[in-house]
Amino acid sequence: MNEDKDKRDSIQMSMKGCRTNNGFVQNEDIQEQDPDSRDTPQSNAVSIPAPEEPQLKVVRPYAGMPKEVLFQFSGQARYRVPREILFWLTVVSVFLLIGATIAIIIISPKCLDWWQAGPMYQIYPRSFKDSDKDGNGDLKGIQEKLDYITALNIKTIWITSFYKSPLKDFRYAVEDFKEIDPIFGTMKDFENLVAAVHDKGLKLIIDFIPNHTSDKHPWFQSSRTRSGKYTDYYIWHNCTHANGVTTPPNNWLSVYGNSSWQFDEERKQCYFHQFLKEQPDLNFRNPAVQEEIKEIIKFWLSKGVDGFSFDAVKFLLEAKDLRNEIQVNTSQIPDTVTRYSELYHDFTTTQVGMHDLVRDFRQTMNQFSREPGRYRFMGTEVSAESTERTMVYYGLSFIQEADFPFNKYLATLDTLSGHTVYEAITSWMENMPEGKWPNWMIGGPETSRLTSRVGSEYVNAMNMLLFTLPGTPITYYGEEIGMGDISITNLNERYDTNALLSKSPMQWDNSSNAGFTEANHTWLPTNSDYHTVNVDVQKTQPSSALRLYQDLSLLHARELLLSRGWFCLLRDDNHSVVYTRELDGIDKVFLVVLNFGESSTVLNLQETISDVPTKLRIRLSTNPASKGSDVDTHAVSLEKGEGLILEHSMKTLLHHQKAFRDKCFISNRACYSSVLDLLYSSC
Amino acid sequence: MEETSPRRRREDEKSVHSTEPKTTSLQKEVGLLSGICIIVGTIIGSGIFISPKSVLANTESVGPCLIIWAACGVLATLGALCFAELGTMITKSGGEYPYLMEAFGPIPAYLFSWTSLIVMKPSSFAIICLSFSEYVCAAFYLGCRPPAVVVKLLAAAAILLITTVNALSVRLGSYVQNVFTAAKLVIVAIIIISGLVLLAQGNVKNFQNSFEGSQTSVGSISLAFYNGLWAYDGWNQLNYITEELRNPYRNLPMAIVIGIPLVTVCYILMNIAYFTVMTPTELLQSQAVAVTFGDRVLYPASWVVPLFVAFSTIGAANGTCFTAGRLIYVAGREGHMLKVLSYISVKRLTPAPALVFYGIIAIIYIIPGDINSLVNYFSFAAWLFYGMTILGLVVMRFTRKDLERPIKVPIFIPIIVILVSVFLILAPIISSPAWEYLYCVLFILSGLIFYFLFVHYKFRWAQKISRPITKHLQMLMEVVPPEKDPE
Repeated sequence: MNEDKDKRDSIQMSMKGCRTNNGFVQNEDIQEQDPDSRDTPQSNAVSIPAPEEPQLKVVRPYAGMPKEVLFQFSGQARYRVPREILFWLTVVSVFLLIGATIAIIIISPKCLDWWQAGPMYQIYPRSFKDSDKDGNGDLKGIQEKLDYITALNIKTIWITSFYKSPLKDFRYAVEDFKEIDPIFGTMKDFENLVAAVHDKGLKLIIDFIPNHTSDKHPWFQSSRTRSGKYTDYYIWHNCTHANGVTTPPNNWLSVYGNSSWQFDEERKQCYFHQFLKEQPDLNFRNPAVQEEIKEIIKFWLSKGVDGFSFDAVKFLLEAKDLRNEIQVNTSQIPDTVTRYSELYHDFTTTQVGMHDLVRDFRQTMNQFSREPGRYRFMGTEVSAESTERTMVYYGLSFIQEADFPFNKYLATLDTLSGHTVYEAITSWMENMPEGKWPNWMIGGPETSRLTSRVGSEYVNAMNMLLFTLPGTPITYYGEEIGMGDISITNLNERYDTNALLSKSPMQWDNSSNAGFTEANHTWLPTNSDYHTVNVDVQKTQPSSALRLYQDLSLLHARELLLSRGWFCLLRDDNHSVVYTRELDGIDKVFLVVLNFGESSTVLNLQETISDVPTKLRIRLSTNPASKGSDVDTHAVSLEKGEGLILEHSMKTLLHHQKAFRDKCFISNRACYSSVLDLLYSSC
Repeated sequence: MEETSPRRRREDEKSVHSTEPKTTSLQKEVGLLSGICIIVGTIIGSGIFISPKSVLANTESVGPCLIIWAACGVLATLGALCFAELGTMITKSGGEYPYLMEAFGPIPAYLFSWTSLIVMKPSSFAIICLSFSEYVCAAFYLGCRPPAVVVKLLAAAAILLITTVNALSVRLGSYVQNVFTAAKLVIVAIIIISGLVLLAQGNVKNFQNSFEGSQTSVGSISLAFYNGLWAYDGWNQLNYITEELRNPYRNLPMAIVIGIPLVTVCYILMNIAYFTVMTPTELLQSQAVAVTFGDRVLYPASWVVPLFVAFSTIGAANGTCFTAGRLIYVAGREGHMLKVLSYISVKRLTPAPALVFYGIIAIIYIIPGDINSLVNYFSFAAWLFYGMTILGLVVMRFTRKDLERPIKVPIFIPIIVILVSVFLILAPIISSPAWEYLYCVLFILSGLIFYFLFVHYKFRWAQKISRPITKHLQMLMEVVPPEKDPE
């Protein structure tokens, strides 16, 4: 009966509510009082309408009491005090929560930006994938293969030079910095590629070659005729030219040999070129040239490009006084000095002011870095420089320069051993300015591929090294499947054939031309091993280089130890390198052992680390059969080119131990709290 | 307060507490301006500043994108007009709830309040606070996402603060709302004006051939509509507080008719402003469109954009809290929720228990990992209830002819809106069917168990538990049942 009444009440109420504008219905309270008065004898008093009886000696509190009753009791300490406490507690907790937020923000370490968070993948666009059946790779081809790149857990794609250029192979003599060379496609193709790359959450960086242009560049053509502001865009100097013989202004040599001065018939002067005579050097002492270059930087950044690899920056400036460079062998007759290596290049490379130019470029790029998530990356290509000079590109603590100079130490190792690899690692890590970010390349367009340089046995160990070192791993296309150089002699190209060998078409599958193109020819021949070394085959083989690469890149993406942890070098010998990755607050440690020797070896890890357990679990191995099994630390046997990532827990992390302290490196010191899933720097 | 004074309590009642000027009920504190602020403030949240790309992503070109933004505004206005009829016909707070009650009886109304109170409202409050927090924290974590802990801490602080402010005073709550809405309109105006200036300077590149490459398939256009209408969600907010409106017969429809077209115009002009400096691709790929815009146009004053977007977001959170608290209050009043939730603070005249309950649930929602998916799957339920409510409007045209309708919309309007809601309910389910939708339906229906246990049959043991709780909570919070507002 009660229920029915209730129901009726509420319906009645809503009807009433429709017609009048009072939101509330009186009988609600009564409705609650009714059962009360019947069921609970002590609340009988309530049935007397409270408001009409101010003397409420007998009144007890009841559910639904009106304020007149309420005020009799709510002032009691047992309600008032908790009420006050709760209220102030709320106020205090608002402040506490805000305080905690601020505190965490303050102790948070600088987070890893996109160029630090994942590997880079360097693509030589002419050899990656051909979409228009002309035998040359192109931008659309890269776009077609973005899914493949994503499957490798790559974060950044680096496309080498694709500017409009008359040179057939290198594309490093640019005719128009704002145009795509027609063999790679159109500007529209490039814009589509940028959009597609960003849609996949990837970033795109491109080569930029500020030092010189092609002699076909309109600037050079105008400079030859001394027209207007272009007159001083290049480095011109008077020289004598008689009977077809030029007497250059000084003894400077071009990188490819012979004098770096070239007589120009039209202007009757010599121009300077660090590389080929078709590649005249821009005059960076001319502010107008600097402005032009910045304009080009802005052009590409506003196209959405996420960064640049600045090429050949050490050549930007030359000494003003044109002093002769000093011969390496002083007894050599000056006229016979024609090879680049026969001079010390103190007046043509890394001149005072060169870094200021690079820093200036950095400033220009920073104007585009302000948008959230759109930091623009700057890498500098540094070849054949001393370690000290290389590190200068990292900038100073108060002047920002490159995010990192590309590290080719591993890419140029010709003989592998535990020692040489250890040397390559320490020479970078020990000289890098504090707080800066390392990076590692194991190959590139300019060097012979790893497989051909040291042997295909080391491909997996090298990739394991790449992903377990601290810093950004950089992979040159094809390294993930262990591609090698091509071996051909008669190329229809006018360049040093050696420089082309590492640029053969990417090996996608078993079909003709390795799936690189549907045309019946390719610009460079495909490597003959493509039937076994290709993406398609390796995808299905559990023991392939590609599968290990994917495992490694996944591990790198998932494990804080690998992206942010300490790196402690433990030992090296003729064969092996041993190091750990560890982080305060994470109770596991990765111990990496790699054999770069020429034969198998047995390692006793107990000798190296005192408190290491006798059995260690293999997290990842170059030999997939042993993944997940245990090794005995007294005798870890490693085949030639074998590598293991061992996992264990350790009480005292190595970087806290005195013996290892100076062998441990970290770029961005942080500790991890597993409770809060949080990194903090105050530790 | 003139309007309310004749409705004061009778002399005999007054004599008891002659110092109390008002009845213990929610006061009519919301005027036309505040009403418009609530509408504009809750509809314009953070979406238009951070990711106004859902429409463009489906149309792929500028022209149709702007047309769909406008069309969605028209549809939202039509829906709101239906709610204006309902709101002036049944002048009770609680949004859809009293209308469903009137048209279909208590069960649909109960299920609506059940779903809204337990899931939809608190989770969307939590989401707005989380996105506010993420937005603020992101400024300190350049290059990566802020850690979850930080975001949650600040979101919890925001929830606590907003609920406390609203529980302390209705006037303070609506004052806060007005301030943040003003801030929001300032940044909207900055963006629109700079957009118009850029337009006048000839930045019209993106508007040429603006229909080129448009998607014309039914699927993509309907998806664009679906996403566009979400940007206008909140057009019924004012119906949640009808009882607190001064002169609701005038102010409710006025606020709707002014508020929603205002939002529509803002949305279109903001989109135009964005397109003056960004290509469609850039807009789609920007992580925070307004910030990108600010950076390109307002530098070096570009910092105002993130600051004001943060204000805008917290304003939207406040608006949601302000209105959703009323739904709990109304449901409690009808006995569909614990009665104590409908009680009113004696000293502060706010629905404090309802707000506290709402705040607690919202905080519970931010604790687990990710509630975005929950909100996504329940989004179809929102349109289910909109559709049912407007269907109720049509039904009542026949069943309740006697009711006075100060505003009567042409019958084709509710029919259009019903068709649109049927589409919006089915579109996500058909385009990507998932078991989760079934779970949502099951959850909604599971409310019936509680309905029959506690509301329909009113088991005595349930009352035995609830009564002492109510009693002590009353004394702890100093809340009483709302007193009648006699006429």
